[in-house]
Amino acid sequence: MQPAAQTSSDASQHAAFKTGAQLVVEALEREGVTDVFGYPGGAIMPVYDALTGSSLNHILVRHEQGAALAADAWARITGRPGVCMATSGPGATNLVTGLANAFMDCVPMVAITGQVASPLMGTDAFQEIDTFGITLPVVKHSWLVRDAADIPHIFAEAFRVAASGRPGPVLIDLPKDVTQASIHTPGVIACRTETPAVFPLDAQGLARAGQLITAARRPVLYFGGGIALSRAEDALRRFFQRTRIPAVATLKGLGAIPTDWPGFLGMLGMHGTRAANTAVNDSDLLICVGARFDDRATGKLDTFAPGARVIHIDGDAAEISKLRAVEVGLAGDIGAILDALHPIMGDISAWQKTCADNAVRWAFRYDAPGSGVYAPGLLNAMAKAAGDNLIVTCDVGQHQMWVAQHCRFTRPQAHLTSAGLGTMGFGIPAGIGAALAEPDATVVTVSGDGSIMMNIQELATIRRYRIPLKILLLDNSQLGMVRQWQELFYQENFSEVDLYDNPDFAEIARAFGIEAFTLEHRAGEAEAIERLLTTRGPVLCHVRIDPRENVWPLVPPGKSNSEMMEA
Amino acid sequence: MTHRIEIDFEPAEGQVVRLIGLVERRGYELLGVNFQPAAVGGKGRLDLSVRPRPGPRRMETLKAQISRVYGVLSVRELTAEPLRESA
Repeated sequence: MQPAAQTSSDASQHAAFKTGAQLVVEALEREGVTDVFGYPGGAIMPVYDALTGSSLNHILVRHEQGAALAADAWARITGRPGVCMATSGPGATNLVTGLANAFMDCVPMVAITGQVASPLMGTDAFQEIDTFGITLPVVKHSWLVRDAADIPHIFAEAFRVAASGRPGPVLIDLPKDVTQASIHTPGVIACRTETPAVFPLDAQGLARAGQLITAARRPVLYFGGGIALSRAEDALRRFFQRTRIPAVATLKGLGAIPTDWPGFLGMLGMHGTRAANTAVNDSDLLICVGARFDDRATGKLDTFAPGARVIHIDGDAAEISKLRAVEVGLAGDIGAILDALHPIMGDISAWQKTCADNAVRWAFRYDAPGSGVYAPGLLNAMAKAAGDNLIVTCDVGQHQMWVAQHCRFTRPQAHLTSAGLGTMGFGIPAGIGAALAEPDATVVTVSGDGSIMMNIQELATIRRYRIPLKILLLDNSQLGMVRQWQELFYQENFSEVDLYDNPDFAEIARAFGIEAFTLEHRAGEAEAIERLLTTRGPVLCHVRIDPRENVWPLVPPGKSNSEMMEA
Repeated sequence: MTHRIEIDFEPAEGQVVRLIGLVERRGYELLGVNFQPAAVGGKGRLDLSVRPRPGPRRMETLKAQISRVYGVLSVRELTAEPLRESA
């Protein structure tokens, strides 16, 4: 490595010499990256210099968190690592929430950060922060590059690690002297590649699982986000169709089996359907596929499915028996395992009928009293109108749960939500990432008046790139979910949840150059949905809803799923 | 109950901190750390004495979580000793 600060344009005149920054751009191109979400700054400037003239489509966001969350959604849609980029110091720290979001939801992502020059590291230099250290708990792996010659190999490894096994974010920290350095690159730089490990099927475990299924009289198929991660929805549907075992989904599992298929009982857990929670509670066998017994799904863990044996199928061996002891654990390729499971079914007809009857008996109703907009009804109608082409990206709060309960999904990629971290502000950047990843889809961001303010600056990104994102903003002038809990569990001591002084969101959108309108009465719903979905280009529909509306059903925190509260 | 875990790994910048941090974040109290730096081209070895904090914690889960860390070559549980309380 030479210390010379040769620019990319200088280096291009000498094919045998390339800067570290050029190697970064080449590495991204070699990995087939098309879109990079980022924000420039001092320490990452050499890479931005090298970006010009490359094949990469850089999306300039207005806050680094927006870059990470957009890359997250892009990855969820494409199945390939999303790429985000920021400078050192605050640029890197602003990425952290997005990295944590991807880590919790197992989303493949490659984050690239600039760093102060190596000799300055450890001296409290301007915009110096220990990015490597700060991000350790929220990345699958990370590299601090010390030598420009390592860049090709490290990037190849980074993309492989992010996407393999249990996917997740990785981080590459690039000191400025490394990206500025000019090195001799004789011909093609060899990158170490490893063939992904293939796990043999556990024949004994499969046989035992088959026996348990045959013996079961009240089985339930409980599936989660691992289905989408491993692209195993087709295998799951085949298994569901040949066994007809009643099925429930976690928040991240929604869409893996179309939500309107007979036998699918809805989401389980804290805001799950009564039919789903009752089935799980009464089951004698739980077939958990790509889920992890998350506390929001299980409620009080030691009362969850109390009479059930458990078969756990997951891509990550570390999840097997982590929280719930299992009779059979099958780790590996979820799709291959499901396709290898062909149990002889016992007579479960009475159980199927009970579950089906419960689904009808406790189906959601949309005939709410009054003339105000009823958010569940609006979301239900919007999803039906949008059809199979719909992708919903959610923010976090009451509206997130209403989306999960009331929207129709026919594929797991149609529902992008911050499930693990619960990141308010996810919705709009995720909508940007989703719209770029799947330009032909109808992408709707459902947000709340609390969440939208967390990343509202990205309206400028939407406008800049003319991203046809549809934003459905449910405004109750409250931090609704917190208010609901204060009402129910804190003796109506409403503390710091009143957002009475919200700005006029339609005016804000217009100020960014985005078409906007307001819906205040139920009578205008059909027209508003049509305008939202048919407007060419971005549009925001600002919906005023009743601040007293709560999300039902609800399992109180720390309680069993059998102790559901209703309105 | 205390446990001893021996981790062999490919030496890399930050790897010791990464592994110790993972063990603590997963709810284990660190009682002892013995790090043997790698010889040139060799592997690093970390010998940890740990005790689970209250909660649903299984050593099998912790070992699986450690083993999936990039660069970890092997994870072994050496002993499982009952915690000796002083009189």
